[in-house]
Amino acid sequence: MLICEQVHAGYGNVRVLHGISFEVQAGKVVALIGANGAGKTTAMRAISGMIAPDQGSIKLDQQPIHHLEAARIAHLGLAHVPEGRHVFAPLTVEDNLLLGAYGWLPRLFGFRRKAAQEMDRVMQLFPKLAERRRQLAGTLSGGEQQMLAIGRAIMARPKVMLLDEPSMGLAPVIVQEVFSIIRRLKDQGMTLLLVEQFASHALAVADYAYVLERGRIVVQGYPEELMKDEQVVTAYLG
Amino acid sequence: MNRTMILQMIVSGALMGQVYALIAYGFQLTYATSKSINFGQGELVMLSAFFSLTLINWGIAYPLVVVGGLLFGAVLGLFVERAGVRLALEQKSEGWILLTIILGLFGFSTAENIWGRDDRPFPTPISSDPIHIFGIGITPLEVSVILGVFAVMGLIEGFKRYTLLGKAFAALAADRDAAGLMGISATRTIMLSYALSGFVSAMAGILIAPITTVGPTMASTLILKAFSVAVVAGLDSGFGVVITGLVLGAIESLTSFFLGSGWREAPGLLLLILALAVRPTGLFGKTTIRKV
Repeated sequence: MLICEQVHAGYGNVRVLHGISFEVQAGKVVALIGANGAGKTTAMRAISGMIAPDQGSIKLDQQPIHHLEAARIAHLGLAHVPEGRHVFAPLTVEDNLLLGAYGWLPRLFGFRRKAAQEMDRVMQLFPKLAERRRQLAGTLSGGEQQMLAIGRAIMARPKVMLLDEPSMGLAPVIVQEVFSIIRRLKDQGMTLLLVEQFASHALAVADYAYVLERGRIVVQGYPEELMKDEQVVTAYLG
Repeated sequence: MNRTMILQMIVSGALMGQVYALIAYGFQLTYATSKSINFGQGELVMLSAFFSLTLINWGIAYPLVVVGGLLFGAVLGLFVERAGVRLALEQKSEGWILLTIILGLFGFSTAENIWGRDDRPFPTPISSDPIHIFGIGITPLEVSVILGVFAVMGLIEGFKRYTLLGKAFAALAADRDAAGLMGISATRTIMLSYALSGFVSAMAGILIAPITTVGPTMASTLILKAFSVAVVAGLDSGFGVVITGLVLGAIESLTSFFLGSGWREAPGLLLLILALAVRPTGLFGKTTIRKV
């Protein structure tokens, strides 16, 4: 569903990714793990078009997307929940969710009616958001904002969802909640690429995982295998 | 000198102040999406007024003249975006400041070459015979100004509040990266905002032309006062520009009455200096868009 081949990317003169290749199959959850600065977020940003990769190819559902801008890629069915959540703070929870579905809703009128079914689904998944429907997103707690960011991505009805550090800055209880949501999305058949510093959490839900080190993939395998790999265990799970 | 007369001054001034508010609102529209404004907005006002005058001279019916003038303004707005602003924004430079000034000067010379330097009357079917309410005379022409301003601002505010495209405006202003991830194209949204600001400028030109006459310099002081209004009101509050416009218009009219019409422009400029002194980050400082 999502295939990256020999992707090089970076910012200005700093090269962060030195040719990484990986694949996310339809309906699977794939985890990218690695230390701070290994290039996990950069990889996400290169896929979703927030930065343009220097080299390599990225295909979404067999279609090359590495030369497209972020808005185009979103229309093709990729939803990226960015690091730091990036909800639209001055807008209401409901408006945030509606904008998540910007790609397939009518732009002028009747968008509320058309979005109703998807909206109900998200509200069921996140009852907290239903309570705070008319509240401004900026006034939500960190955990609620993370839920909103994920809910907004669900609204897009994406083919692939990228989740960047969904547990960042959250209390342990909330982290549990976020991961139970991820598990439910997986059960519903969502294709997910997950980036996490807490590797153990990520490996617990993932079907397959890649370990990133200084912009290169050093190890890959099924979670059971990685959890037996001594190097991985000492570096990321210890 | 009596109270009615002073009230008359305040009311007429405040009505005129709405035109400043409308132009300032045009600044807000493009600033929200692109953090840039068109320094040649005054020329858009003037060119649209000239174009509308030409339509009138061709014998086209007034309502159609208004529609034509507004569309012309929107096209000019798009032109400014494509020929100037986008080039600078693509390189993340502040070059749009100079580029929009240059395009404005270009528009000015074009107007002089096509229509000449003279000020010309702008005929309108709307009467300028005052109606008296509690002793204060208001002309239907003045009423048309305020109705026109409110209609355009109401329409655009409604668009921003009740359509998904309008919400995309707000999203882009709040978080550009995230807006892109939602599939909101910054380029297209910025184009739309420039078209709307051109539309708004044209409305200002059509509304004010019958009162001030049409000439290449008709908007040069207008634009300065619109700046004052925009700086004082901030670049994110449509309500703010209306109130500031009312107040500035009233003060101006009183000033020119009591101190002589030569002092007419003074309050607007003083206000601009004062606002910039009190808020040294000025028009483009990040603090101007903080939420209160």
